[in-house]
Amino acid sequence: MKANSAKPIRLQAKSPGQSRRFWHTQRFKTNAPLWIMFIPVIVFYLVFKYAPMAGLVIAFKNYTFYEGIWGSQWVGFANFEMLFTQSQSLQIIRNTLLLSVLSVAVGFPFPIILAIMLNEVRKKWFQKSVQTLVYLPHFFSWVIVGGLVVTIFAQSGIVNAALEKLTGQSFAFLFNESSWVAIFLGSGIWKDAGFSAIIYLAALTSIDPSLYEAASMDGAGKWKQIRNITLPGISPTIVIMLILAMGRVMEVGFDQVYVLQNSIVSGISEVISTYIYAIGLQGGQFSLTAALGLFESLVAFILVLLTNAVARRFGRGLW
Amino acid sequence: MKSTRGERTFYVFNYVLLTLAGILCLLPLLHLASLSLSGKNAVMSGFVTLWPQEITFESYKLLFEGTPVLRSFANSVLITVVGVALSMVVTICAAYPLSRREFYGRRWLTLAIVFTMLFTGGLIPTYLVVSSLGLVNTYGALWLPALVSTYNMMIMRSFFENVPEELIEASRIDGSGEWRLLLRIVLPLSLPMLATIGLFYGVYYWNSFFNVMIYVNSPEKLNLTVLIQQMVRSQAVLQEINTMDTQQASNITPEGIKAAGIMIMIIPMLIVYPLLQRYFVKGVTIGAIKG
Repeated sequence: MKANSAKPIRLQAKSPGQSRRFWHTQRFKTNAPLWIMFIPVIVFYLVFKYAPMAGLVIAFKNYTFYEGIWGSQWVGFANFEMLFTQSQSLQIIRNTLLLSVLSVAVGFPFPIILAIMLNEVRKKWFQKSVQTLVYLPHFFSWVIVGGLVVTIFAQSGIVNAALEKLTGQSFAFLFNESSWVAIFLGSGIWKDAGFSAIIYLAALTSIDPSLYEAASMDGAGKWKQIRNITLPGISPTIVIMLILAMGRVMEVGFDQVYVLQNSIVSGISEVISTYIYAIGLQGGQFSLTAALGLFESLVAFILVLLTNAVARRFGRGLW
Repeated sequence: MKSTRGERTFYVFNYVLLTLAGILCLLPLLHLASLSLSGKNAVMSGFVTLWPQEITFESYKLLFEGTPVLRSFANSVLITVVGVALSMVVTICAAYPLSRREFYGRRWLTLAIVFTMLFTGGLIPTYLVVSSLGLVNTYGALWLPALVSTYNMMIMRSFFENVPEELIEASRIDGSGEWRLLLRIVLPLSLPMLATIGLFYGVYYWNSFFNVMIYVNSPEKLNLTVLIQQMVRSQAVLQEINTMDTQQASNITPEGIKAAGIMIMIIPMLIVYPLLQRYFVKGVTIGAIKG
């Protein structure tokens, strides 16, 4: 500003744009159509993203259909108190955390390993065919995957038929809590490990091949190369994916649980999303479940911020 | 370069394990397909593995004649086609302005939009908004709240940002406005990316399950996923089919029908998959690199 103010008169004399009206400027000409384009987008985000956030006030109210969101009575933190004292809702929060932490802990390495393995394949046709196969399950809905799993592990399913032939006994895989959890985790890996590997594969292509040559010259074996070149090379991507996974720790997808669960394992399978559906939407307890939803969103939000802060310390933050 | 012995063992293991991984993704599908095509005795004996035995098409015949599978299929197609078209238009309307440096408020709007990825109102308030708009039991409840997937929009935005500035300058000198620039230059340059995003939306709408379950009540409006899930879930539907058709369809088992129902959802996916495969890798990669 200071530098410019030295010769303001000359500038004004030189530029005819100064005398033009704002709506004749290039900037306005560019912006007007862009803003017209953007109006539906703003409406969309206000109505379907921000209005629900405002609607979260019902978590502090006793929502009834007749009084509406704004007319209903304020109850302060009563809904939250109820949530954190009821053993049922505590168990549901515990289940959610257990299943999602296990999903991350067990499932997270699979795409990385798969990507590293695929990256080591030299025959292009083989790489392409394996990729085609392992990406496929990602595109199936959980209804399909659940249908496959339930059919295969059912009492009359192929796994039990084989088991019976071998040992003479069958095992109720879907009706036993620990085997149910194993099936839950396994089906998640089966569905998405392949597709998640794409991101790591992309990161792998950016590693300088000469590093491997040099390591090989120095007599480093495959394991050493993977540990010292490949893994450090993709670690930024790994950190980003971990941050994103953290944001989802409070959420166990509704579909997956819904298609796999049954009443016998509900002690472990009932999670926040299925609870909100059953108690909130079907049972009409909007305020209570909105409070649970707010708690879920808040924890996820804080976790993402925390993980990012930690990642930033290592110079790897998302923002 | 000569490979050492250790390296050779590594490669052998690598190939074997990857082959297993590939097969593991295929086996359940083959098994289900065989079940859906096998006769009653074979299914009951429990030893239909990867090849159909006593081949019969009765499960499929029964599904198409005795259940509203065809109507649900048509509903799924309608939901997907209209949904993808709407979402693509609005997502472009969001991504293009945000990709232009001249756009007023670009920074704040981007922040406000990214914030919705980190914090959401959640299911119940969203449901209240959708129902207060009178969208319950219409497909509008499926389309409107899903018009823009912020993740897809960010991928699209970073792709638009990479359109060379010279092209934009040149077209401005020619006197074209923003709309023309978008339609004639930016979009044609981005076709592969648009195909990818279209694929993501397509898969989303085709697979939509939860939203259909909570927003759509009329049985005749259900899509394929919900219908099949109801059939797989409730024995009642199957029992009904069984008692209804015992005379004419004695070669059918509940397992066979369930398997056939699942196959009906898988088959369209398998047909489209090879066509689209070359696009989605690219799309995911753009998103990964540009964040």
